[in-house]
Amino acid sequence: MNYRLVVNPSLCTGCRTCELACAFYHTKDKKPGRSRIYPIAHAPDKFVPVTCLQCDDAACAKSCCFDALKRNETTGAIELNVEKCVKCRACVAACPFGCALIDEVHDEIIKCDLCGGSPACAAFCPTKALEYKKIEVKAASRQSA
Amino acid sequence: MRVDSVTKLDKLRNDYRKLIDTQKKRILVCLGPGCLAMGSDTILEEFKKVFSEKKVKDVTVESVKKTGCHGFCARGPLVVIEPDGIFYTKVKKIHVAEIVEKTLMNGEIIDKLLYIDPKSNKQIIDYKEIPFYAHQQRISLRNVGQIDPDNIGDYIANSGYAAMAKALTTMSPQEVIDEVSKSGLRGRGGAGFPTGRKWATCAKVESDTRYVICNGDEGDPGAFMDRCIMEGDPHSVIEGMIICAFAVGSREGYIYVREEYPLAVINLQTAIDAAREYGFLGENIMGSGLNFDIKISRGGGAFVCGESSALMKSVAGEVGEPRAKYVRSVVKGLRDQPTVLNNVESFATVPVILDKGSEWFASIGTKKSTGTKAFSLAGKINNTGLIEVPMGVTLREIIYDIGDGIPKGRKFKAVQTGGPSGGCLPEDKLDLPVDFDTLTEAGSMMGSGGMVIMDDQTCMVEVARYFLEFLVFESCGKCVPCREGLYQLYKLCTKICEGEATEDDIDLMEKLSKTIQIASLCGLGQSGPNPFVSTLQYFRDEYLAHIRDKKCPGGVCRKLITYKINDLCTGCLACIDVCPVKAITGKKKEKHVLDTDICDRCGACYAVCTFDAIDIE
Amino acid sequence: MIDIQLNGKMVKAEEGEMLLSIIRREGIDVPALCDHQAIEPCGSCRLCMVEISHRDWEGWKKHVTSCLYPAEDGLIVNTHTEQVLEIRRNILDLYLARCPNSKVIQKLAEEHGVYKTSFDKIPNADNCIMCYACTRICEVLGRSAISAVYRGHDKVIAPPFNEEPPDCIGCLSCAMICPTGVIPWSDENGVRTIWKKKFDLIVCEKCGKEIISRDFADYLIETRAIPEDYFKSCDDCKRIDLARKMGAIVLQAEEAKL
Repeated sequence: MNYRLVVNPSLCTGCRTCELACAFYHTKDKKPGRSRIYPIAHAPDKFVPVTCLQCDDAACAKSCCFDALKRNETTGAIELNVEKCVKCRACVAACPFGCALIDEVHDEIIKCDLCGGSPACAAFCPTKALEYKKIEVKAASRQSA
Repeated sequence: MRVDSVTKLDKLRNDYRKLIDTQKKRILVCLGPGCLAMGSDTILEEFKKVFSEKKVKDVTVESVKKTGCHGFCARGPLVVIEPDGIFYTKVKKIHVAEIVEKTLMNGEIIDKLLYIDPKSNKQIIDYKEIPFYAHQQRISLRNVGQIDPDNIGDYIANSGYAAMAKALTTMSPQEVIDEVSKSGLRGRGGAGFPTGRKWATCAKVESDTRYVICNGDEGDPGAFMDRCIMEGDPHSVIEGMIICAFAVGSREGYIYVREEYPLAVINLQTAIDAAREYGFLGENIMGSGLNFDIKISRGGGAFVCGESSALMKSVAGEVGEPRAKYVRSVVKGLRDQPTVLNNVESFATVPVILDKGSEWFASIGTKKSTGTKAFSLAGKINNTGLIEVPMGVTLREIIYDIGDGIPKGRKFKAVQTGGPSGGCLPEDKLDLPVDFDTLTEAGSMMGSGGMVIMDDQTCMVEVARYFLEFLVFESCGKCVPCREGLYQLYKLCTKICEGEATEDDIDLMEKLSKTIQIASLCGLGQSGPNPFVSTLQYFRDEYLAHIRDKKCPGGVCRKLITYKINDLCTGCLACIDVCPVKAITGKKKEKHVLDTDICDRCGACYAVCTFDAIDIE
Repeated sequence: MIDIQLNGKMVKAEEGEMLLSIIRREGIDVPALCDHQAIEPCGSCRLCMVEISHRDWEGWKKHVTSCLYPAEDGLIVNTHTEQVLEIRRNILDLYLARCPNSKVIQKLAEEHGVYKTSFDKIPNADNCIMCYACTRICEVLGRSAISAVYRGHDKVIAPPFNEEPPDCIGCLSCAMICPTGVIPWSDENGVRTIWKKKFDLIVCEKCGKEIISRDFADYLIETRAIPEDYFKSCDDCKRIDLARKMGAIVLQAEEAKL
């Protein structure tokens, strides 16, 4: 049993509250950070909140030559250690889902860290399209139908 | 032929001794650095040529030997005829025929080649009676100047390798370490760390691989003791390293020789090859099970590579930069393995300690600094050369009894010891005993043995500036206090020499010196400010004269001195001929006139005037 | 676990842990310009120097760089004594003479009360503080394309013989890790230039945005087992792609239910 951020795109209205919550949660030096979650329209009025899938065999962690990306066993998130990060952007290029990002304002590389165990996006999502809960992960499917 | 037992070695020693005894007379031609520079190798060749052509009773071509530095460099080229100790000085190639004819064939002494004692005005035949030699006790230099460094037989005949045989066949490694510890031997490279303790710490570290390295980098300007040992008695270093390898458990040794000593490399390699032939290096030495061999590693021409951690990086083929030594190199040294690094003189002393006993060695010198120390006397002193004295002998004895004081009737001003890491001591400190601790308390340090004497025509600020320039050039550049700090210190010192500094600059330099001494990464930086700090301590008035009066009391700093022609001038035109900027005018037999505005204070006129008619103010 | 005394307070630490990491963990601010978690410490900037003593040393003290000194039981550490602060000020004073235009140095110096240098600016002053971070990070990558050359005051960071470094892959790690940002580089028209060497940039198939240098991508493909087609599009386009793919699956599932 693991904790996962479960995404239900059919419930997503594209209100972008998650984006705001994420940015404000990651405020540093009185400036909000870049959001790590992006509701994107794939069809008129149909959105998917795209965020890091915390892959089991994460390309970002593999691509980092400096050991800056490591799984937090408690939250399940792959966390980026800012002190080890050299900002070479290998992870930004390697992530197949484009979920390692460059935050120009704070001059950092960022990715979703599940807010240390209590994701702000899920807390503020009005439709429960985002939920952080314990689930049994079956081998092939990653969505809840 | 392998010599793998004490019996075989004893027999070999007797054989070699008999061989030497068959030569009723031995002619030793000094090929030490000073004599060699004056062409003593041509003297050696001439002797060989004469003996191959002439038949002389009791003497053959084998009786002529080249040796390492005999010591009295000021009087070279030297030729010594043993066993009488007949000491011929300032020998030239043209004298060889006369020496063969008169001294060797007819037993006559050639007076004009003898040393004349300046105090008694008497000629001295036997060098052992000359005060320069009489005050010395040569232990690490025991063979230098006495044997042919290329001839292992000479070394063995003089008890060479007996200590190694004793250690490897009758003692345990711990017993060897204990003996070295009891002797009180402290590192002769300058730091004075107890050698026995170093070996003991290294031996205790758990590791399959351990290294023994000899530091032959000798970077201090003016020091040539290690050079003379490596060139003149290379086997003593090898024997010391074998004993160390046995004591700590090492299979691989390196002798790191600075790039500027090619002859030392050649002589050491010859000695290593000869030692290998006899089985003193290689597998199962003396049947003890010890496998040990030595390679020579050459430096690239950097003073910083005399620092132990930089040296080890250089041996490993990397750039010679020191590292912070919070984990000591005896624990993690070359290639991160436990390593013993000792100086050339330290290794050369180890065989004697095992041979004659730690008690004997500890009875010489002082309680905390046992044994003897080799020094290279250089600078403004009559008897420049290579000496060795018991620890505790005073500076005054060395400079006046052995060194015979200051030439040209000038006054003593300061003695600089310890190279760029050391300091200068003035006249009222001359009765201090020379050992590891006393000079350090006075603000200088004994160092590796370089001793430079300065007379009253020296500017102490310029001395500080010279050493700072050297250190800035040699700094590895890794850490800020040394790279930037010494650079700024050097620039400020130059400002003082040019008369452009203020007293606030001295305060700034003192503050900066403290930071450099504490914050630098390695010994080069930490001791870098010493030349400035020690000269400021004892010669502050000179610094102030440069700043307040814009004058250089030593008459050296070009921007602060003026040259004048006084009434002793005879009008000989010599200075006019030699002045490169045509600052002097005048007619023959008339007092010449020097234009101080054009004069650039090069000193050529002063050097050429034989009438003392030039004053430097 | 061992006990050491830090600024008068007893704290726990691992034996052999470097003092700087203990100091940072306790929230004490000690500057360390040449320190970075991705590389081994080298002790070249000397700013992290602290005063240490030991309960067995009878009051004898010494100053060490905390980034390289391993903790042992009974150690007594003081990070802000008057002497330590004086050393930091003097070192920053020297840095200001070496890097007169570096904002990073100026800010750090001001924080320690040093507003201008007491010395003359050095000739050819640039903002390189010789912290070796760039050479060390290149070593971690296994490329070692640049190193510190010459000795003493002339020391500079340079590629071999000051020519195009054959081992450089254009990853920009050196430029990014540099604390004063002195390594120049540029991305223009699909070509990256650094250390006088030109690198082809992979551009996004979809939008043409520059992603990564071809050589760095090859390095990651070869040594880190990243599939080659991961580098075909940029992160913005990949997110849109993911949204489309996921969206298609959701629509499919909804239709299946109906």
